[in-house]
Amino acid sequence: MAFNIVASSFEQKYIERSQWHMTGMTGFIFGFVALYFNFVGLMTQFMERWIIEGVLTLAHLTIMGVALFGGVTIAIRSKNLSAAGKVANGAAVGAMIGIALSLLMLFMTQLDIRFMFVALSNKLFLFLSWKQGLEGGITLQIVLSAALGALGALIVVMPKVLRRPLIWGLSAVFIVGLFSELIQLVMQYEFILGFRDWFFTWEGQRVQGAMVVFVVSFSAMLFWTIRGGAVKERFGQLSPSGQKSIRYFGWACALILFLLFPAAAGSFFGQVMMYVGLFILMGMGLNLELGLAGLLDLGFVAFFAAGAYTIALFTGEHELQILLLDRPLTWWEALPLAVLVSVAIGFMFGIPVLKVRGDYLAVATMGLGEIIRVVVLSDMAAPLLGGSQGMLHIPRPSLFGWELNDPIYLFYLTLVCASVAGYFAWALENSRLGRAWMAIREDEDVGQALGINLVNVKLLAYGLGAAFAGLAGAIFAVMLTSIFPHSFQLLISINILALLIVGGLGSLPGVVVGAAMLIGTPELLREFGEYRFLAYGAVLIAMMRIKPIGLWPSAARKREIQSAEEIEASIREQMEEEGQRT
Amino acid sequence: MQKYFDIEFWRRVTYVDVTLWLMRAAVIIVVVWGTIGTLIDGRYSNEQWFDFVMFGLTMGGIYALVALGYTMVYGILRLINFAHGDIFMTGAFTAYFVASPLGKSGFLEENLLISMIIICLTAMVTCVIIALTVERICYRPFRSVRSFAPLICAIGASFFIQHSFRGMYGSSVRAYPDVEFFDKLLSIGSFDFPMIQPVVILAALGSMTGLYLIVMKTRMGTAMRATSEDRDTASLMGIDVNRVIIFTFVLGGSMAGIGGVLYAFVFKQVYFFMGFFPGIKAFSAAVLGGIGNIPGAMLGGFFLGTVESVGPALFLDGLGIVAPYQLRDLIAFTMLVMVLIFRPQGLLGERVSQRA
Amino acid sequence: MKRSTLLKSIAAAAVVGAGALAAAPAMSAEVDGVMDDLRVVKIRAGEPITIGVYEVLSGPDTALGLDQWRGIQVAASDAGDKVAGHAIRFLTEDTGCNAEGGQTAATKIAANTQTVIALGGSCSSATTPAAPILWKAGIPNISTSASSPALTAPDRGPGYDGFVRVIYNDNWAGKEVGDWAVNVMGFKRFATIHDGSPYAEKLVRVFQKRLVELGAELVSDEAVSPTDVDMRPVLTKIATSKPDLIYSPTFVAATAYMLRQKTEIAGLEKTMFVGSDASFGAQLLEAAGKDVVGYKITTTAQEVEAQGEGYPAMREKYKEMFGEYPIQGFHGNGYDAFMMAKNAIEKVAVVKDGATYIPIAALTAAVKATKDHNGMTGMLTCDQYGDCAVYKFAVYEFNSDDKSTLEMGKNPKRIYPEKF
Repeated sequence: MAFNIVASSFEQKYIERSQWHMTGMTGFIFGFVALYFNFVGLMTQFMERWIIEGVLTLAHLTIMGVALFGGVTIAIRSKNLSAAGKVANGAAVGAMIGIALSLLMLFMTQLDIRFMFVALSNKLFLFLSWKQGLEGGITLQIVLSAALGALGALIVVMPKVLRRPLIWGLSAVFIVGLFSELIQLVMQYEFILGFRDWFFTWEGQRVQGAMVVFVVSFSAMLFWTIRGGAVKERFGQLSPSGQKSIRYFGWACALILFLLFPAAAGSFFGQVMMYVGLFILMGMGLNLELGLAGLLDLGFVAFFAAGAYTIALFTGEHELQILLLDRPLTWWEALPLAVLVSVAIGFMFGIPVLKVRGDYLAVATMGLGEIIRVVVLSDMAAPLLGGSQGMLHIPRPSLFGWELNDPIYLFYLTLVCASVAGYFAWALENSRLGRAWMAIREDEDVGQALGINLVNVKLLAYGLGAAFAGLAGAIFAVMLTSIFPHSFQLLISINILALLIVGGLGSLPGVVVGAAMLIGTPELLREFGEYRFLAYGAVLIAMMRIKPIGLWPSAARKREIQSAEEIEASIREQMEEEGQRT
Repeated sequence: MQKYFDIEFWRRVTYVDVTLWLMRAAVIIVVVWGTIGTLIDGRYSNEQWFDFVMFGLTMGGIYALVALGYTMVYGILRLINFAHGDIFMTGAFTAYFVASPLGKSGFLEENLLISMIIICLTAMVTCVIIALTVERICYRPFRSVRSFAPLICAIGASFFIQHSFRGMYGSSVRAYPDVEFFDKLLSIGSFDFPMIQPVVILAALGSMTGLYLIVMKTRMGTAMRATSEDRDTASLMGIDVNRVIIFTFVLGGSMAGIGGVLYAFVFKQVYFFMGFFPGIKAFSAAVLGGIGNIPGAMLGGFFLGTVESVGPALFLDGLGIVAPYQLRDLIAFTMLVMVLIFRPQGLLGERVSQRA
Repeated sequence: MKRSTLLKSIAAAAVVGAGALAAAPAMSAEVDGVMDDLRVVKIRAGEPITIGVYEVLSGPDTALGLDQWRGIQVAASDAGDKVAGHAIRFLTEDTGCNAEGGQTAATKIAANTQTVIALGGSCSSATTPAAPILWKAGIPNISTSASSPALTAPDRGPGYDGFVRVIYNDNWAGKEVGDWAVNVMGFKRFATIHDGSPYAEKLVRVFQKRLVELGAELVSDEAVSPTDVDMRPVLTKIATSKPDLIYSPTFVAATAYMLRQKTEIAGLEKTMFVGSDASFGAQLLEAAGKDVVGYKITTTAQEVEAQGEGYPAMREKYKEMFGEYPIQGFHGNGYDAFMMAKNAIEKVAVVKDGATYIPIAALTAAVKATKDHNGMTGMLTCDQYGDCAVYKFAVYEFNSDDKSTLEMGKNPKRIYPEKF
């Protein structure tokens, strides 16, 4: 696989559009977005969810937010207009969104289309029309949307000193409202219960709570906007060593907070963070294969399953274990075994696909991964692996006689494993083997010509990558104490690939960021059920559009991109020159 | 043969070669042993074998139609259009809302051909719209960049499309109307089969022939082939690459639309998740045939469909394995991996060069 | 605050400081004078009562969990959206029908100390790790469709003490089907198909075991993948062994594929096709079309003459609320689970100064003491291991694909036993 940038000869042309066209397009797109939210049923779901209890639901916020963003967008895009013109255009975009929603209302009352679009319920109509009936609803919706569009444009036109705090204040209210339940879960201690209850109900934040959040974040940002420059300047005046120690102090504080957070915040956060930890482990493994050696692997979940099933086989009361050993192994004894089995499976994977390249490799590995899953689920292997009934009663590991039976303990276990594995991954990256991997990633034939043993190097990539997943699988087995084949879907391999790319291929911090974002966030939003994956898809698209090289790309990759961009730019310049000459 | 007598050859044999030989031998022994066992057992009559093949070809025709979308996009852009399976779903699912009223009113039975054209067109238009949107959002921005970004973007699009349609049309299963003509039994000699099977196979073959003619005989097709050969040179020759790419997605989307309708008339049920696994299978079929190669995708599709249908009964039954049809994916993917071991470039593919 | 709780919280804080948390359920609790062996949930006037729900709401099994979650919502609506005089707040989490999803969902529900009871667990694989987590946090659990025998086996362990379910146990269902098929119908040759789900596989295994005991012959033991759509090859294979009856307790989609494609297979014309109530629902009529006629499901008796006239009204209400008819066979279980929880809560709730107190150990006992609850899925009476469904075996046969006729007792019509 060649990851280098190919400077291609054609490029996008941006044509200057007229203001009318631009406003119309923006209104159309945002109107479409507003309709989409309704058709897809998000509104119906959001109606039940208070952001500020008794005042504002998530649905209100969404429908109003669309109009607001429409105003913001058009105001930013129309650069040549006066402030008043921007506001007027914002109002026009808002009105178009209002008209779109009005058409929907009309549509809903005149035609029976619920046969096709199940989300268009009576409740939705009542919501859209603000319980004013058809005519009243249409008028109200258009006026309101136009006003919000104008408001959006107004925010853009505002002086920065007001705008930034306002945006921060509103976003803070929104975020606190959205995650109010999780925040309350953290505030579980007796001494802050009173405070919590003043601030929140389990439905959302109270009005007074929202006001406090707004005022606090607004004034904090106001202070920073006015005085931030001075603070930065003061920091710049410190001696370099002083700056360094302040930075280190900051990092150390963040690290300690992170380490203590799950213990203080409770089992749920421990659970989510350990789950993210498992994906970090697997991400690091795939990073060896894909990020360093350039071997695309869509069957990665097989190694994960191998680790989990090895633990289940040897620590529980099981025929195979009884046959081979006189007592069940403890988790600690079985752990190296689980890793070894995964490595062996990794080698077995690697051998058939050694000569397969590029996207063929993706399919071949996906096929191998599916083979493992099908076998584990099948009746054929059921006597050994339990088939669809899974393997139950896996004992939890204990440390000095203390059973690790809470997600929080297991989080620390995962953390330790991930740190050790992370160190190995880092060491590998900078080793002779790591450089050999990178060489074959760039060009296999050249690598071979330079004396790299392709076979050994590739197999090591599969084997070592699998070791990480085996470790993750071993922890996964004791996290659940029962494992089922249904946990090892193709989706997991896809998730790991996605988190790697979103984080930044080849970069260890990128793995952590990607896992937190793609695995952690959906876990926190579990209450939204099926709509989580809608958001997941949208986030993947958005991330790739905004930062195609990942959130935290490796240094080498950044350099590559920069130099490639420079080359591209110079080519473009040359071509333009030539164009002018002819 | 000559090389096996050369001592130098044997000296260069590594453990990898030995393992690969063992793997190939194991698969071949299992296949041969199982086949012999099954045939000696004589459990299945000729009619039943014929049925297995017909089932496989029906499924294979649908795989092939979907696989064409993967393979054409790959040929032009060198990218896996991961969302293609879900594009297939959108067509079949949307066309249900045309097919169902047609079925209820009786128009479908009376004017079958016209109705089928209407239903197919609905599905094709939906698929094309969604395919072009995916192209616009997920592929165009990355056209000059080689990275995994478009793949991830397409995976995102796959989730997004699936769950958007779930939200819109509901999570329930909907069923296409019955058509008497399709259920009619057709007999050739002692072989009986319902009309729908030859209809699907012929429709798939017909669409593919049409597609092949478009690609080989028209100006646009020539432009497509030129672009897939070398995009930069093609654009220097005055080919509007943008138009070629859009045309490719239109073709791929239409094929998925037809495939979706055929699928829906065979299996009846449509729902939001129906595209994912046929998509994966069709993608495998495209790779099996040699990705980027249009006849390869057709061959791969039919091959995969047939192996899935015949394989478990032929290879596994004779070995006395319980519930062989649970292992159908195992057979399909083992075949895939075996083909890739023997021919890393797929059945009809060209040798993959460094650019892939 | 009371001294004992204060001490406890200080102790807890100390443990937290040491970086470790002791998480055993407290032995006894007392809030404002209300005593309980486990813990007491206090709900102030005007505050909602919190009920956890965990079902599969995403992925390919969405319909299964969504159906039950909707059943719960219909029940809540029937109860006037109130339990013990408080509005209801559902804490709904998605499990994805896998073990890790069940674990996370349960942990989240357990983390909310206001949670009174948890409903759900559509899949046994998700419920197996989830129930002990809930119980450790002092939350009883009524499962809607996790039917694995392991969950109510005598050796299930103390983690499942708070677990009951309104779905029958696979062990009974599979056995009764075997008895009926051999003794009543007098069949000799049998084939089974499962889809790799723990539910269908277990039913099939129990059925097979019973056949062997009764001296009948299992001629074909088949399975498909949950993602399969082309069932014709596997049905052809079964046809070669000429069974009298095919038992296939799969879900709606797979069952409908088989019913439709069965007609294309030579040699299966006379074979009886029997499934379970996992495939019951208007969706089956839609998906299988006219081929549903003659299809038989085995289930616990549930029809108007036995239970009153709840179901048709529920079905219509469901349609009104969600725009489509019930999408799977277990919405009634969701309804019953909610109603059982509601009754138990209202039985044990203590009202004092406007606030409501719910002692959890008493609530759990009340749930487990449920007797002759007249539910959508039959009479519910809990036994000591938490099996609340009374399995009154019955066989029903579909006679029309018209969705408006769908009603237990009419379409499908009971064919066995003729009288209770």
